[in-house]
Amino acid sequence: MTPDIEDFDEEIRGHLALSIQERIERGEDPSEARLAALKEFGNVLHTRESMRSVWRPRWMEGLEALGRDLRIALRSLGRAKGLTTTVVVTLALGIGANAAIFSVVRTVLMRPLVNRDPDRLIYIRQTALGIGTENMTFSMPEIRDIESRVKSIRPFGDFSTVDFTLIGFGIGPRVVKAGVVNGSFFEVMGLRPELGRLLNAGDDGPQAAPVAVLTHQFWTTALHRDSTVIGKTMRLGPSVVRVVGVLEPSTPYPAETQIIANVVSSPHHLGATMVTARWHRMTELFGRLVPGVTLAQARAELDAVHAAIVHEHPESYPAQAHVRLHVSTLRDQLASPARNVLLLLLAAAAVVFVIACSNVANLILARSVRRETELAVRAVMGAGRGALRRTLLAESMLLCAAGAALGLVLAAPLVRLAARFAARFSVRALDARLDGSVLWLGVALALVAAVVLAYVPRLPSPDRLGGAALAGGGLRMTPGTNRRLRMLAMTQIACSFVLLAGAATLLATLNALQTANTGYDMRQVLAIDVPPSADGVGGPENLRFFQEATRRIGALPGVQAVASGMIVPWRDPSAGLKFQFAFEGYRPAPGEENPTCRFRPISPRFFAVLGVPLLAGRDFTEMDRSDTEKVAIVSHSVAQRLFTNGDAVNRHLRFGIGGDLRRIVGVVPDVDDENVVQEPMLTVYVPEAQMGLPSRLFVRVAGDPYALVPSVTRTIRTISAEQAIERPTTLEDVRAEVLTPQRLSAFVFAAFGGIALLIAIVGVAGVLAFSVSARTREFGVRLAVGATPGQLLGQVLKEGLVIAAVGIAVGAAAGYELTLVASTYLEAVRVPGLLAGVVAAAILVVAALLASLIPAIRASRVDVMQALRSE
Amino acid sequence: MRERSEDRGIELLQGTLDMLILRTLQWGPEHGHGIGQAIRTQSDDLLKVETGSLYPALHRLVKRGWLKAEWGISEANQRAKYYRLTAAGKAQLLRERNRWSQLIHAIGLVMNPAPNEEPRS
Repeated sequence: MTPDIEDFDEEIRGHLALSIQERIERGEDPSEARLAALKEFGNVLHTRESMRSVWRPRWMEGLEALGRDLRIALRSLGRAKGLTTTVVVTLALGIGANAAIFSVVRTVLMRPLVNRDPDRLIYIRQTALGIGTENMTFSMPEIRDIESRVKSIRPFGDFSTVDFTLIGFGIGPRVVKAGVVNGSFFEVMGLRPELGRLLNAGDDGPQAAPVAVLTHQFWTTALHRDSTVIGKTMRLGPSVVRVVGVLEPSTPYPAETQIIANVVSSPHHLGATMVTARWHRMTELFGRLVPGVTLAQARAELDAVHAAIVHEHPESYPAQAHVRLHVSTLRDQLASPARNVLLLLLAAAAVVFVIACSNVANLILARSVRRETELAVRAVMGAGRGALRRTLLAESMLLCAAGAALGLVLAAPLVRLAARFAARFSVRALDARLDGSVLWLGVALALVAAVVLAYVPRLPSPDRLGGAALAGGGLRMTPGTNRRLRMLAMTQIACSFVLLAGAATLLATLNALQTANTGYDMRQVLAIDVPPSADGVGGPENLRFFQEATRRIGALPGVQAVASGMIVPWRDPSAGLKFQFAFEGYRPAPGEENPTCRFRPISPRFFAVLGVPLLAGRDFTEMDRSDTEKVAIVSHSVAQRLFTNGDAVNRHLRFGIGGDLRRIVGVVPDVDDENVVQEPMLTVYVPEAQMGLPSRLFVRVAGDPYALVPSVTRTIRTISAEQAIERPTTLEDVRAEVLTPQRLSAFVFAAFGGIALLIAIVGVAGVLAFSVSARTREFGVRLAVGATPGQLLGQVLKEGLVIAAVGIAVGAAAGYELTLVASTYLEAVRVPGLLAGVVAAAILVVAALLASLIPAIRASRVDVMQALRSE
Repeated sequence: MRERSEDRGIELLQGTLDMLILRTLQWGPEHGHGIGQAIRTQSDDLLKVETGSLYPALHRLVKRGWLKAEWGISEANQRAKYYRLTAAGKAQLLRERNRWSQLIHAIGLVMNPAPNEEPRS
């Protein structure tokens, strides 16, 4: 501005000089001429001021106009507090839900991994789809074969998970999950240390010193970011391991572990089974594509190599198992299970946003009819259509900005919820945070809503100006507006129906899971993890320890019985405990193999403690020892399917081809410790004294199981002070824990459905309330000619029901089609059952009735005289 | 925008000052003072343009691209800003002139109706 002013001052000086000169030429006295010129020019300051508005750039004028509009909008919204609140809250719910889901989607599907050059970082898994195994991992001989033959991937990194009892840094004894990796693992993963160093080639092999890296999570939560831990040692199971570094924060994959150690830290990894047994699969394989090699080329080479390996070792790869390799980038491996679910959630969030917008549009539309008079007056006073539109835009912008702001506040807790929900599909979801991009999403959604809303109301058209709108002052509703309002309300009902039906389906599934009969006594049994202790893995000491613990805990007051086993139902991974058995008198059909059964080593009284009755024969006893006859108990399915007449007792079975011959001494019902919903299971139980390592205690308690935890812990510690004791839980709570994802997903959808329902109720109530207040006169006339208030009440309720019915019908039809389409792409999508649809419809009908009730009562209470006089 | 002659009370119609300026500059570049003087003498001293209106108008016309301003030396031997009509300005002048003659015609019809078009009421 200043240059403009100086410029202008000089222009004025020039002007004055000319003026003076002219006057002097006309013969005036120079000094008078000067005064006269100044006088003629007028107030210089004033002129300067009026120049300012000319110089002002265009955008500033626009801004000023906008500011004016916003001030007016603020005042006018302040007068309609109820409407403003409803609109803002509705928008906030719509925007908040979208922002939350979007941030999770962004984190899981779009945010780059911290790993260096993630496009070349690949994850290889071995699938056996023939026996339903998506990822059967690798054994060390397999990895050695692949590593030595494949040229397009270099280096390879491997990772297996082991539980250790950790003692050190003032922690423990405590069970930690550890990753055991080869020397090139971190090079393959492309990760850096936060502190110290990571593991490298020097740490590989059986000759290296035992060293470990702490994960960032463990270092932060358990060690409070204590940087002095580097170089210190800890006891990890039987080994003493030195901490050499802390890993940078990164997505934990394939497993969330507390520490990552070299091979030499884990005695198991040095054992003959691990090193030489091709069937001993527990290791996951990563690799980096050699520069210039594409994923497809690497895949082709891997497939060829794998086919050769399968050919060389047919005994390890049964044909019907269909063992194949699957190669993908780590990024895809992390994201793919979550993609469909997240997109489904995003769709649900979008539906909520549509409902929110249509509801707000409804309210705004109703409001605009109410203020037709105001708009008409302003139009008559000379406000152009543009100016009126701008006023409306300012109002809707204010509303939407407030909605977006509140929505983002709501989004923060919603993100955490959605992240927990999505985490079961992709660990990356746990990193989801509200960030700047979501802010932009909120702003974008708000802008979309604002523009839509500003164009919803009809402006008074010039030819109708000054007519009824100005004169009446009363409320009139054109059929067009009425139709639009109803259509919007029906849209809301339809969308709500889809969401509610989905939520009802999920809740029904959850309920079925939670109440299914498991065959176990769920309430009175405490399951406790007692992992092999630091001073003696496996072997007779371990067995003696468990026998002693069982005896002493059994003597505690309140304890009814104690048993041990290897697997807490549903909680412990048991995929490895499955073997082929040969049964006496059972000959598989040609081309089939011997049946694969679950294998469960247990202690005596296991069935009694868990509340599983014996169907035939006897339980194991203390007399079943390693030096006595080998015995087994089988499940009902085994007896039924593999023995004629189900007569299994005293028949024999055999492990694999060359295993021990065992006599069947008992039959128990099928209980499924892998699936919460029970399926018929072939299971073989053996005495743990003859085979297997107990690591779980089951305590049957008379009273409150949790009240017993301290005395049980004390008892175990008196036997072994360094024994870790973890997760004492009743089976009922184990199941609840296992069902957390289902509960979460039901909850998320129910939340969406609830939000939608709430908005739809407001929508229906708003439409009817408006319709009633616009028809006061009509109702007055009707009452005057003899209608009863009850009839009017019924009519308004009927209108509400019609909206609901049409909405539900449209929602059911659209939802059904949509689900059919979606289910062809997404496995997770199922057509909701009839019951879910009926429940959703019933909820909506009740909601619509409640929503119509207040307007209906208003209609029935119209005062005849007042109504007729009002116009 | 209040534009009125100083003493004799003839008000400039809204928007006409722009047209007068454009018209004046048809004869060639001129500075603010010269434009004011020209309008005055051309109108037989009936229209006096206040500098408080003239300069904002000039700058507005420059901003719209109808005039171009450049510095030169005036008769008083002092730097003065000269305004020149641009091509767009010439087109605008033509439009304003047409509009103006239509307006004159229309107002004339209203003020001096032909006898046979006497309103009936």
